[in-house]
Amino acid sequence: MLGITVIAWALILIEAYLLFDVIIPFAPPIHSLGSLTALALLKVVLTLGLGILWFVIIVSLTETYVMSRLRRHPPTSSA
Amino acid sequence: MLPGASDSGWLALSFLVPLGVVFGLMPGYLGFLRRRGRVVDDVHKVPATKVPSPTGPVLLAGLVVGEVVAFLYSQSLIAPAIIGTILIAFVVGMIDDLFVLGGKAKPLLLLLPAVPLVLAQFIQPGVYHAAIYFPFLGETSEHFFIYTILVVAAIPVVSNAYNMMDSFNGEVSGFVLLTSIAVIFGILLRSGSILSYSPSHLAVALPLTGVALAFYYYNRYPSRAFDGDSGSLVFGTMFAALAVTGGVEIAAVVAIIPAILNSFYILSSLRGFVERRKIGARPTYMADDGKLYASQEKLAPITLVRMILLEGPLTERQLVKRILILTGVACLLSAATSILTWVI
Repeated sequence: MLGITVIAWALILIEAYLLFDVIIPFAPPIHSLGSLTALALLKVVLTLGLGILWFVIIVSLTETYVMSRLRRHPPTSSA
Repeated sequence: MLPGASDSGWLALSFLVPLGVVFGLMPGYLGFLRRRGRVVDDVHKVPATKVPSPTGPVLLAGLVVGEVVAFLYSQSLIAPAIIGTILIAFVVGMIDDLFVLGGKAKPLLLLLPAVPLVLAQFIQPGVYHAAIYFPFLGETSEHFFIYTILVVAAIPVVSNAYNMMDSFNGEVSGFVLLTSIAVIFGILLRSGSILSYSPSHLAVALPLTGVALAFYYYNRYPSRAFDGDSGSLVFGTMFAALAVTGGVEIAAVVAIIPAILNSFYILSSLRGFVERRKIGARPTYMADDGKLYASQEKLAPITLVRMILLEGPLTERQLVKRILILTGVACLLSAATSILTWVI
């Protein structure tokens, strides 16, 4: 659990860096309105993607941890 | 601006007065609850004992008096805004204590406590700063509308996260105590790095630590008082309000990572908002030896407690100690986040 907590923290910092230093400032030399709209939408999608990625990583770690513990102690009727 | 000698008296009062209010009112109020038959089973004892609940009104009284002291010192609208915010959360919690709200009604009603904060910001700009500071990266640009939406959405999330950490003796009181210290540390560092940032932000935060410390005395193992939803929702709402008014959102989120993970595990394994009293398969169970065990059923909800107990059975006291150690680690990470944001 300590490991998952530290990973959750590190991911918050790394994803904040990716969001504010990579995604938001990204500005290729485009000028047409359609391309700019597509770029804005792409940034929104990438931001949502970062949020989803955080959840996916944490859920995967958690499920791996729970399943490994359950394999070590198989289900019993008393539980 | 860091607090000077002239501020220290008021800051001490902001901490000590709420602490004294809880210690002064609690014994009489516990007797009142017992006489009225308002006791609940402490289900993790063999045999189950009866504990007075809810003590939310006393905790609210301590916090409100503390905020009044902070207002007398700062003359800022932050303290009245926080009073309004926690009063609304208290009403929602009391309704839940007395009548039990549905799994979806509670989060929806908890959107309301943000209203006093937003109104105060309109009346006196500066109650909160509509930008977020990140470690290394500094400040985002100001977006009042987006930030305000985040504030409104954050209060139900945080207050429910605190509510879900309220299952064992000393769990929620210890959790509030540790996380409030982490937030105060962040506010202190922010006060040291921004000249326009007055110590009044510290004064409004200290009552939460004072009340949590006094309540821990009654709530620790073996509990003599339970806070009820009226207490845990007030604690969570006040924490969220302090993170917003103190401008330490990221450090606050890090401090409550165990509660966020706990809520997230429950929501994802139950596939939505379900009132905790209506959860079918139990994530944990207590055996005849008085120890708590993790459910070995694959379909049982994943909770923070179940994950800890998968390591092996624990007594209630040992379990709460583990949870508070985990919270302590999260608070150290929060302190590191504050240092990376405001010092480095």
